[in-house]
Amino acid sequence: MSDEELAKDLGPLAALTIGIGTMIGAGIFVLPGTAVARAGPLAAFTFVLGGVIALFTALSASELGTAMPKSGGAYFYVNRALGPMFGSVAGWANWLGLAFASAFYMYGFGEYVNALVGLGPVGLGPVTLEAAQVIGLAGALLFIAVNYFGAKETGGLQIVIVMSLLGILAVFTVVGLLNADMESLRPIAPPGTTSQVLPVTGIIFVSYLGFVQITSVAEEIKDPGRNLPLAVLGSVVIVTVVYALFLVVLLAAVPNELVANNETAVVDAARLLFGNYQVFGFSLGAVGAGMLLIGGLLATASSANASILSSSRINFAMGREKIVTPKLNEIHDRFGTPYKSIALTGALILVFLVAGGVESLSTMGSVLHLIVYGLLNLALIVMRESEVEGYDPDFEVPFYPFVPIIGTLSSFALIAYIEPTIILISFGLVAFAVLWYLLYARGKVEARGVLGAWILDRSDELPKAAVSAATSVQPSGDDYRVMVPLANPATEEHLITLASAIAKQRNGTVVAVNIANVPDQTSLEAARDRGAHEAAHDLLDKAREDAETFGVDVETHVVLSHRVFEEVFDAARTYGADITVMGWGEDSHGSPGRAETAVDELAHSLPSDFLVFRDRGFDPSRILVPTAGGPASDLSGAVAKMLQTEFDGEVTLLHVADDEAAGRRFLMGWAAEHDLADATLRVESGDIEASIDRAAQDATMLIIGATQKGLLSRLVSGSLVLQVLEDVECSVLLAEKRDDRGIWARLFGSGARANVKGDGVSPATEEDDSGAVSEQLRGDGGVTDAEVDE
Amino acid sequence: MTSTDHPEDRNLLGHVLLPVANDEDALATAQALEPYGPERVTALHVVEKGEGVPDKTPVEQSEELAAQSYDAVRTVFPDADDHTAYARDVVGAIFDSVDEVGATAIAYQSRGGNRLVQFLSGDLSMKLVTKSHVPVIALPREESTE
Repeated sequence: MSDEELAKDLGPLAALTIGIGTMIGAGIFVLPGTAVARAGPLAAFTFVLGGVIALFTALSASELGTAMPKSGGAYFYVNRALGPMFGSVAGWANWLGLAFASAFYMYGFGEYVNALVGLGPVGLGPVTLEAAQVIGLAGALLFIAVNYFGAKETGGLQIVIVMSLLGILAVFTVVGLLNADMESLRPIAPPGTTSQVLPVTGIIFVSYLGFVQITSVAEEIKDPGRNLPLAVLGSVVIVTVVYALFLVVLLAAVPNELVANNETAVVDAARLLFGNYQVFGFSLGAVGAGMLLIGGLLATASSANASILSSSRINFAMGREKIVTPKLNEIHDRFGTPYKSIALTGALILVFLVAGGVESLSTMGSVLHLIVYGLLNLALIVMRESEVEGYDPDFEVPFYPFVPIIGTLSSFALIAYIEPTIILISFGLVAFAVLWYLLYARGKVEARGVLGAWILDRSDELPKAAVSAATSVQPSGDDYRVMVPLANPATEEHLITLASAIAKQRNGTVVAVNIANVPDQTSLEAARDRGAHEAAHDLLDKAREDAETFGVDVETHVVLSHRVFEEVFDAARTYGADITVMGWGEDSHGSPGRAETAVDELAHSLPSDFLVFRDRGFDPSRILVPTAGGPASDLSGAVAKMLQTEFDGEVTLLHVADDEAAGRRFLMGWAAEHDLADATLRVESGDIEASIDRAAQDATMLIIGATQKGLLSRLVSGSLVLQVLEDVECSVLLAEKRDDRGIWARLFGSGARANVKGDGVSPATEEDDSGAVSEQLRGDGGVTDAEVDE
Repeated sequence: MTSTDHPEDRNLLGHVLLPVANDEDALATAQALEPYGPERVTALHVVEKGEGVPDKTPVEQSEELAAQSYDAVRTVFPDADDHTAYARDVVGAIFDSVDEVGATAIAYQSRGGNRLVQFLSGDLSMKLVTKSHVPVIALPREESTE
């Protein structure tokens, strides 16, 4: 048996009871009072409606669960499919939704305990708390502690609890049926109740939160392909039927007035109904009431207990993708529990319990989960439509796409019927989750969503607004991304080798992009149909193989475009490149568009660092780096260091100075600063180009840094003639640093002009005159005095 | 190797099974064992399963914890083997692992704490020393030495 098999210990019955045990809690024991007061006998119908809405989502959750049996459940699927921004929304909504629901369960628990002890409201400093709240707080502390210390609840116990709950409800239903009077169900819809059906459904929807919890422990379920859908769908169907029967019988057997607004209505109903029977002269009323009382306690307790554990799973998954700090999920060294996560969730539950009433807590729990469920259905559609590799669910949703579409619409639509204040608070939380992602998590998250990749891969056919929106919310985490635009199979290997070496040194990812040129006359859609993608696959497959020999992560994309050269810059931006490694030569990427000014503009706000490789063979054994210091040469220095480490090459540093002693001092300082102290130092005086040319004769690779903006653009547009780069016989790497753009520019502006201004590059340096060219060259081999002070 | 009846296997430190809970515990336990120069060491991490209820931590996280624990042991015993067991009954899993890897003894370090902490964390010392079918070595704790 493999380790993976050993880790799976939840059988079908255990999985089913997790779902039923979480759901069959407060909903049926606490909410009938509220539901009946507002909707009359139609309350039974609201539970059926809630169950049907849940069933659509349960179908989607089953498919996603069998395709991706990972910790975190609903949050994980949304994050994977829709990307980390929606992931953040789903994660927070699911987490807080569970905390609200737990607070609600504990409130209900308090009501039931209080039905036993009968306390009045308690004044606690400035606030007055209901007795149920105080007991609920104590109960919440108990269950938080149980989870914090990791007390072991046996699987058998869980099954016993669920079975006795079902048994209690069944006995009640049978007794109720014997005393049912269909007349008391009439009028089935008293005036004013029909309009209450949807709002009440919104409130009672909290009774259907458990099934997604099954997916969050999917990795522990035996034979998940079969048992997971069985448990998810089975628990929803069973619970819906139980609720509906129970309510119909309840309302038929006892007067509606007894139930309405009575939070322990079922206990009183049981006392009344069982009171009709006597055994040896004793009335069974107390027995019935006691039974339901125990049922209410068990149900609310097991719901809360399960929810606290589930929320720690969501935290774990959020931490895994770095949407929250992974520190939240540290395991206690003695108790073996994610104690921080449990303590934080516990604190939230206590706060919510003090702040809210039964109805507001349950509706908050409902709304937040409805948001998650709507997104979950959308996630299913995205996974299906984008045809992601490896998406192979054992269970497939029937009647696709209707089921997930109805699931999405019904989940979101139900929100509209909920009290405006609650909606407002919920949307405040959603806005918070989005801001949380943009301001906190975006810089840490690495994984990208399927939807984002799908949009970016079609960046030329989709509306610009969609693409730029998708681009601006892409995660920008610490993963160092080396993008390689590939066009020519002849240069692929060297570019990938170079990129992989850099990625390996920085522990990053190689992003190989094939930008396929599509003639203007052909629409991109037509090109796609004609298999332009397939043509690119050979090249990208080769790239993947080559990069994998270095053991670095590889990502490949095909971009169809009418304007190949410009697309490189767009792609660097859309794929979040930290550095772009591209070839430069006769036919590396075609010539840029005729509008040179446009290219100029693009190349002036470089979205990443750029390394332009003039391929005359890849041999980093003897690297020459001319430098004059300054930030521009930092990149060439860093690249030289990486290649030296990776390929064990020799580095020679060249500096041209009139005063040789000063030049040597400078060069030693520079070498130490760039961790290149073991490099050979070479100080020359005289003509810079000639010095480089001479030094390059001993070198296999020349790495030259651009000190000024726009070197790259001039190079590719042919307006810059660096004769020495043509004269030397070795390969040349030209390095230019990115422009740093503020978050504002990244979010709201893609205009290059604005950035050029922001960068403070004076227009004069952008002129293409010969003066500027020699200026640039001086920059890289230049006089010490002029550059060191930078 | 699996039988402890052979005289050559009577060496107490011939093959020591080292149950460890996390990286800190693993490092401390391994360091405590090191001075006695065991011939062979197998680090064991028992992933505590719910068997019918969800686990305390996701399996993914538990396995990460196991890997970190093994790495910590290997900083002391570079050639140590590792073995991961999945069970609800941790002590039972330790005994089963003894037979599976053919260990000659179990070495562990009590993790201290007062009775309440030991109770809450389900301290296993008592069960381990009373029910074992191979010798159990209780390694000294650092703070216990003067």
